[in-house]
Amino acid sequence: MRFIVFMAVREMRASWRRLLLFFVCIAVGVGAIVALRSVIQSVRVTFAGEARALITADAVITSNQPIKPELAARISGRLAVAGAESIRAVELATMVRPADVAGARARMVELKAVEAGFPYYGEMTLADGRRFDQSMLAGFGVLVRPELLTQIGVAVGDVLAIGSRRFTIRGVIESEPGRRLGAFSLGPRVFVDLADLQSSGLLGFGSRAVTQQLVRVPEATVDRLVTDLRQDFKNEFARVRSYKATEDSIGESFAKAEDYLSLVGLVIVILGGIGVSSVTRVFVQQKMKAIAVLKCVGARSSQLLAVYVAQVLALGLAGSVLGVCLALAAIAAIPSAFAAAATPGVVIHYGLTVPAVLQGLGIGVLVSLLFALVPLLEVRHVKPSLLLRDEARAARVDAVQVVVMLVVASGLAGLTVWQAGSWRVGLVVATGFTATALVLHVAGLALIRVIRPLARSRAFAVRHAVLQLSRPGSQMRIVLLAVGLGSFFIIGVRSLQENLVKEFAVNASPESPDMFLLDIQRDQVEAVRAVLNRHQPVGAPPARLQPVLRARVVGVEGRELQLDNYDDVRGRGSLAREYTITYRPALERNESVVAGRLWEPSPSSEGEVSIEESIRDRFKIGVGDTMRFDVLGRALTATVTSVRHVEWSDSRAGGFMFVFRPGLLDTAPQAFVGFLRGPQDATARALLQGELVAAAPNVSVIDGREILATIQAVVDNVTLAVTVVGTLVMLSGLLILIGAVAMTKFRRVYEAAIFKTLGATRRLIASVLLVEYGLLGLLAGTIGSTGAIGLTWGISRFALKIPFRPLVGLNVLGITVTAALVAVIGVAASWDVLRQKPLATLRAE
Amino acid sequence: MIQLRGVSKTVLSGGQPLTILHPLDLDVATGQCLAIVGPSGSGKSTLLGLIAGLDAPSSGHITIAGTEITRLDEDALARLRGEKIGFVFQFFHLVPSLTAVENIQVPMEIAGRPDAAARAQALLDEVGLHERGHHYPAQLSGGEQQRIAIARALANDPPLILADEPTGNLDSSNGRHILELLLRVRRSRGVTLVLVTHDQSVAAVADARLELRDGKPVIGGPDWAGSAAS
Repeated sequence: MRFIVFMAVREMRASWRRLLLFFVCIAVGVGAIVALRSVIQSVRVTFAGEARALITADAVITSNQPIKPELAARISGRLAVAGAESIRAVELATMVRPADVAGARARMVELKAVEAGFPYYGEMTLADGRRFDQSMLAGFGVLVRPELLTQIGVAVGDVLAIGSRRFTIRGVIESEPGRRLGAFSLGPRVFVDLADLQSSGLLGFGSRAVTQQLVRVPEATVDRLVTDLRQDFKNEFARVRSYKATEDSIGESFAKAEDYLSLVGLVIVILGGIGVSSVTRVFVQQKMKAIAVLKCVGARSSQLLAVYVAQVLALGLAGSVLGVCLALAAIAAIPSAFAAAATPGVVIHYGLTVPAVLQGLGIGVLVSLLFALVPLLEVRHVKPSLLLRDEARAARVDAVQVVVMLVVASGLAGLTVWQAGSWRVGLVVATGFTATALVLHVAGLALIRVIRPLARSRAFAVRHAVLQLSRPGSQMRIVLLAVGLGSFFIIGVRSLQENLVKEFAVNASPESPDMFLLDIQRDQVEAVRAVLNRHQPVGAPPARLQPVLRARVVGVEGRELQLDNYDDVRGRGSLAREYTITYRPALERNESVVAGRLWEPSPSSEGEVSIEESIRDRFKIGVGDTMRFDVLGRALTATVTSVRHVEWSDSRAGGFMFVFRPGLLDTAPQAFVGFLRGPQDATARALLQGELVAAAPNVSVIDGREILATIQAVVDNVTLAVTVVGTLVMLSGLLILIGAVAMTKFRRVYEAAIFKTLGATRRLIASVLLVEYGLLGLLAGTIGSTGAIGLTWGISRFALKIPFRPLVGLNVLGITVTAALVAVIGVAASWDVLRQKPLATLRAE
Repeated sequence: MIQLRGVSKTVLSGGQPLTILHPLDLDVATGQCLAIVGPSGSGKSTLLGLIAGLDAPSSGHITIAGTEITRLDEDALARLRGEKIGFVFQFFHLVPSLTAVENIQVPMEIAGRPDAAARAQALLDEVGLHERGHHYPAQLSGGEQQRIAIARALANDPPLILADEPTGNLDSSNGRHILELLLRVRRSRGVTLVLVTHDQSVAAVADARLELRDGKPVIGGPDWAGSAAS
């Protein structure tokens, strides 16, 4: 034992510099895992502790329809039994504009109307430091987020038109309980008094307001209350959720995010591990003589194996500790980077968490060990007779090696499953990684074959570069794998981003609508149309106003499917949800009939419905079947006469699961939505929005361009995140390259010395190196780019369902940059090969 | 101390079996000094490697200090080498990443001796390199490296020292010093010494000689040892 420890310590003294780079690779991955897990765990602890503040109550009942009186009575009863109190609130996206400015610009906001007592939990603070009080809202007061002031050019004290009423701005909200970090938002938040909202005309028919009942209830009865209410809500459009569910769902989504993100770290660690494996192989080769000597003086194979395993463990631990330090540094930089995006009112204390650090250390050491084990087994085959005569050992794989390889493979798979937190995801990732590695490996072999004829080239540099790459023991495949994977990530993500952005750009063709109007009441249709006609740009297609209704499927009598009542429908999953439906005489541009026939344009009192093909495919409903619907309490029956295909990627003209023949629904309660091509000019657009809201105060205007900008920002953020990951992978790849060069340097220095004595200039040797690494980079870039094209094609085609566009320029750029990077780094890392004087080198040999 | 019966070695060379040592009988008594001589490629080093258990014979039996080593597995052989045999190579074969004194300590640490450090220092003194212990092999001259190698060979007080061309890589003055050191050690410790050399002057100081040519012993005068196995 003493021998093992002593020997390991002494050997490390000499070898750590050579092994350092590879453990830096481990450090990068471990750093990623520890930092990601720590941050998410910190955020999670904070948010889980604030679950009540997030929903501002112990439980919240929500509904997107007015709650029927009998249900309301039932709820009151339940609350009384549970000893609970409650306040009501309404959330609604609507338009606001300055009331006293002609031609002012309107803006969509997320309005929240509350009653006295809000919030039960958490705190709302104002910019001037005052604490929120309901009296600030009472009598048509409004509190707004600061961004609204600048967006529509108003100040505290000014009057806003909201719906048909005038509200005075009485303060600016600084922080509000319950607003989530990074949540998608349609506009800035404004607060009004619930009583004032009710007289504003915004809660009329077709309103998309969400009513809430915020409940404060003793801890002992909260679970019971929620269970009872769920029972009551079985057939209603109402939901109830306790803060515990929020806690759970926050916990769950954070756990998922944590696990998925750490997989990224794991991929980097595994890349580092591949580097470890390759360094260990070369290391053992270089140590052959020393191992033979030690065997000669009495050391047993098991002792020597232990010596090297101990070194790997120590260096793996050192790399992991370095990784933890990296994570610490990264986390220290977070508060400043995220300060702007943080949720107001929630203070998160970022720091390394113990479980994250332990996991990081464990993974770093384990991956180092697993990857080093197979090459270390070679120690057993070193014969002491090597000292007497050079003797090549026939490369063969023995049973022990096979067993160890299996153990290592299952160990890595287990590690992935553990990190993914799920068997399925873990195995998918493990399989994916193996497949990728295998593909890259095979591609590497194939490419070597492709370049092999160049070994007969007349150019000395080209010939020797190719010979170096294709000879046994070359580090080429490992570098191809690592660098190829890095460029694959980066090129792949960039291609996807560009494809997505182009898709949006294509869809935003001059004819396609870019403004959407919601909640137009029947009696407002004419007024709205008049405003639109005034502002319609010349040549633009006329605005379309389309009726929309809400309906539920309550029965199906079909050949394949029989559902007698709503309970049966509920058994069919999403068929039971509330659908937005419409009626019209003809198809839209993005629709085509795939089965049956569409009706004649003339209205008919016979119910006819056309279903979208996914309804047919998922629920086995076909042409000729009869469906029963509940349209806001009115029962009606319709026969399925056609099945439509909807081009969803072009759904800005609207996409409906159920379209009815005109006639049956004409008199039913309905609102209208509008699709139009707005003016190009931003001022004209603002003016149009202002006039629309003046004519019909409850109508919401969604500006497609703003949404596009939001989506663009989200895509940019995601792209940035994945690019960072890709860069880390690329960095690992380049570190592996530097390490690989260092490992084979001794041989290269010797060979260069021989070349030099034979008359080669340093310039010639430099050009060999340049061609060699340039070629290597070219191959790695080609592999990465090919993979990226495959990835983009697959995701475009199957996940995003958008047409695939090969991006020639981007791929060429990616390959060129990879080749240049590898060439520069390879030559720089081989500096010694050029610098060493030949005589000294040859003497040393 | 050493007994060989019908020991031969055949290797594959370019796919063809090549006998580098033909069946051989040999006896070396305890305390004796045997020189194995012959031109290069005659099988000298192969024979030495077989005696040291570094290599396994293709046929025959080898007994070292009463232990039949041809039946031992790798680990048992390693243990035997650690305890019974000290080996000195032509190219020294010190571990480059260890200092001189650490190189000497290694066999004792493997054997689990608690006094390795003190004893290594004593051995350094014995080979006259008292102040060079903390140097790495690359910082030592060839002669110094070989002395360290001899000190290492003596580390566990083995009864048998095997030396493969110990002066072959040194100039004549250094070579003479190394030879004197080996002979002095042999006298003071009473160890059995087997030397492989092609230097007749080195061979002349031995008690007995075995000359090999093409893997077969050449029979000479009264101090000649070994015979072709019948």
